[in-house]
Amino acid sequence: MELFAAETINTAVLAKGILVGFGGMGPAIAIGLLGASYMSAVSRNPESAKFLGQLFVFVAMAELFGLIAFASIFIVK
Amino acid sequence: MFNLFASEGPHIAIAPEKLFEVGGLVITNSMVYGWIVCIVMMVALIYGARKVTIGGSRGPAQLLDAGVEFFYNMIAGSLGSESRARKYTPYFVTIFFFALIHNWLGLLPIVGKPFTYDDTALFRPFTADFNGTLAMSITAIVLIQTFAIKESGLVKHLRHYFAGSLANPITYLIGLMEIFQELTRLFSLALRLFLNVVIGEILIAIFAYLGGTFGFATAVPFTLMEVFIGLLQAYIFVLLSVSYLSVAIAHSHEHEETA
Repeated sequence: MELFAAETINTAVLAKGILVGFGGMGPAIAIGLLGASYMSAVSRNPESAKFLGQLFVFVAMAELFGLIAFASIFIVK
Repeated sequence: MFNLFASEGPHIAIAPEKLFEVGGLVITNSMVYGWIVCIVMMVALIYGARKVTIGGSRGPAQLLDAGVEFFYNMIAGSLGSESRARKYTPYFVTIFFFALIHNWLGLLPIVGKPFTYDDTALFRPFTADFNGTLAMSITAIVLIQTFAIKESGLVKHLRHYFAGSLANPITYLIGLMEIFQELTRLFSLALRLFLNVVIGEILIAIFAYLGGTFGFATAVPFTLMEVFIGLLQAYIFVLLSVSYLSVAIAHSHEHEETA
């Protein structure tokens, strides 16, 4: 059965799909949580709207892991 | 009809491609574009810096003025004093404009397919080359270490890593982990900038390819997004470097306040 799958399906395509899918999932959840907590912080205390720049820093940090996953699909042959 | 969606895909290169060799030294396309942009940038920034005046600048020099002012305030806020901001602003503003101009000029349509040399693209953004961003982050980390040693002295700087009683073996373990963290910072700074730029390039290439004949139009939203991301990543590179510096010199700062 494994032989059958490996011979008929191009497993690299499967691997790339899994990489992009799961690799994008984590950062997406992280960015959603960051945005949600930013919005709740601003609605509790409107003065904390000034932390938007800080928010982008953390978004970029979370994004890095998604980008690593996305870049890895070009290494899979 | 279906050849329009061929499985071939656009040409995607994660690494810079070799153009030619000069005496055994490989010249890649990102190096060529890096040199060109550096010359343009030096001319523009030196000319712009002469135009900046005390009582408000005019024209494009306003951008330089506003950028320096913004980073001066940010650095003063995060390092805790105006004198330190005056000392460290020049380097951080330079690295910001360096990254920003490389990111933005990398989006010009002349980069990529239009000019080729031996079937490889002649130009490639310098920040879309891991060697380039790694060089930037190595410079940043080395300078931050130098600044921190100058600020607090070598022994005190090392005590910043090996905090706590020196008789306790766990202190050394934690200190080694803290030093290892510097390496993590080095690579995460470089990888963040590199991956954001190179994946932007890839996205633009993919959507220009999917658009077929209308490729120039389908790539526009992603190009606009890349303009924003280029600015954001340049800002984040500087912001993270400043915060690493502020963590590294935090000890001497506390001491100054208590004394």
